[in-house]
Amino acid sequence: METRVQHILLAASLLSALTCFSAPVFAADEKEKNNDDGELGKIITPDIERRHIKEADLDTEDFEVGLYTGMLNVEDFGSNMVAGVSFSYHITEDFFVQANYGTSKTEKTSYELLSGGVELLTKEQRDLSYYNISLGYDLLPGQVYLSEKWHFNTSVYLIAGAGNTHFADKDYFTYNLGAGFKFYATDWLMLDLSMRNYSFEHELFGVTKKINNPESRLGISLFF
Amino acid sequence: MTRLVMNRLLKITIAKCKSTLRASIYLLCTMSLLCSVNVSAADFWSLNWFEKDAPIEVTVNDAFINVHNAPGRGYPIFHVVERGETITLLKMHTDWIKIKTARGIEGWIKRKDVLLTLGPDGVAPEFADSTQADYLADRFELGAAFGDFDGANSFNVNLGYRFTKNLSTEIRLAQNTGQYSDSQILAIAILHQPFPEWRVSPFIGIGAGTLKTMPSATLVQTEDREDQLLQASLGAYIHITGRFFLRAEYVNDYVLTSRNTNQEVNEWKLGFNIFF
Repeated sequence: METRVQHILLAASLLSALTCFSAPVFAADEKEKNNDDGELGKIITPDIERRHIKEADLDTEDFEVGLYTGMLNVEDFGSNMVAGVSFSYHITEDFFVQANYGTSKTEKTSYELLSGGVELLTKEQRDLSYYNISLGYDLLPGQVYLSEKWHFNTSVYLIAGAGNTHFADKDYFTYNLGAGFKFYATDWLMLDLSMRNYSFEHELFGVTKKINNPESRLGISLFF
Repeated sequence: MTRLVMNRLLKITIAKCKSTLRASIYLLCTMSLLCSVNVSAADFWSLNWFEKDAPIEVTVNDAFINVHNAPGRGYPIFHVVERGETITLLKMHTDWIKIKTARGIEGWIKRKDVLLTLGPDGVAPEFADSTQADYLADRFELGAAFGDFDGANSFNVNLGYRFTKNLSTEIRLAQNTGQYSDSQILAIAILHQPFPEWRVSPFIGIGAGTLKTMPSATLVQTEDREDQLLQASLGAYIHITGRFFLRAEYVNDYVLTSRNTNQEVNEWKLGFNIFF
């Protein structure tokens, strides 16, 4: 069995080596054929390659990678800076999908502050991170005209999706809903000012509580 | 001597491949990668990596093509390119192509309008029609779905490859967050679509994987456990536009537990898939 496998592998490697090195030889043959017509042949058949254009030849800029920062308010746990990365794919001129990952810290609740010594969460448990996948819709595409010469594309969009928030050593299924304003500085550089609301349920205070966590953020994205 | 060494090497490779599934998958990936690289030795060395691509020039072969000032249907048409005019295609963004005229005017034309031009070889450029049929074979698909896993909220991601228009395979990752326990699923599945050309196209699938369950720490002190999982699914792809599909799915999960009885879990999800 093993010798058979060995033979097969050897044959395969020989074959691939052959095809690799024989290609330039064939090319040389073809060149000689063209020369057979002599000087006249050179004049009649110009040495221009007639290029056939395919979709793959053209550079597409449908992906977008971005960084953002802003404020995230976690209900009962204060407002803090949030920073994250986003990755988007533009499906059509109207729809895009976006994956987000962000991290933030939370503060002590009012109860913890007023009562003095009570600690509901440890320091590590106060760290918060979230991820989600959302679907966006460019509701109001437009342009702004800053001067006679400068005009920029803009868009007001709506976005909604779901994901998970990791907070207090547990994952919480989180819905998000938001809207924002995109400002295209160039075709490939975009500034994004947006608001999101993250909503999930937790039982940290003993009873199930649905909380809403608004986030305001400013981001910069590159298209590639 | 060389024969001996090769023999030894081969034996080691074969033994390793046999021992782990991961290694064989890795080998398969490398093989397919090698096959897909279609550059001969001579071409490879003569490639100039930093050379600028030759401009893609086409000639307008219709009465005229409208040029918009931004990539969107509502943006104003500020210019028109006429029959016989040569334009350079710069780049594509969704269903729009940025062009440059001989006089240096830049604007955007609709993707499908490129079929009204001729390339240097006198043939219209080859641009696939953005209909459902073009996304049915030899395509990767990436999707996300949200749903319910036995009362827990589930967040799913899937990465698939479509071999033929009927048959595809996919890797599924899921994070389920429930009130009493969280769980994660990693599974591989095969899907069959009997009527791929229907706008709402049903599919059936079977899969297998592992389910990792993590009971809430606030409850009784229980350990995380990992079980094998079999899946049978029934669902439908709904074509929305171009490469964008909605996907609704019901999955019957059969969890092979280490306890006395196996567990059956119903899973519902709704999401979207994009084809590349």
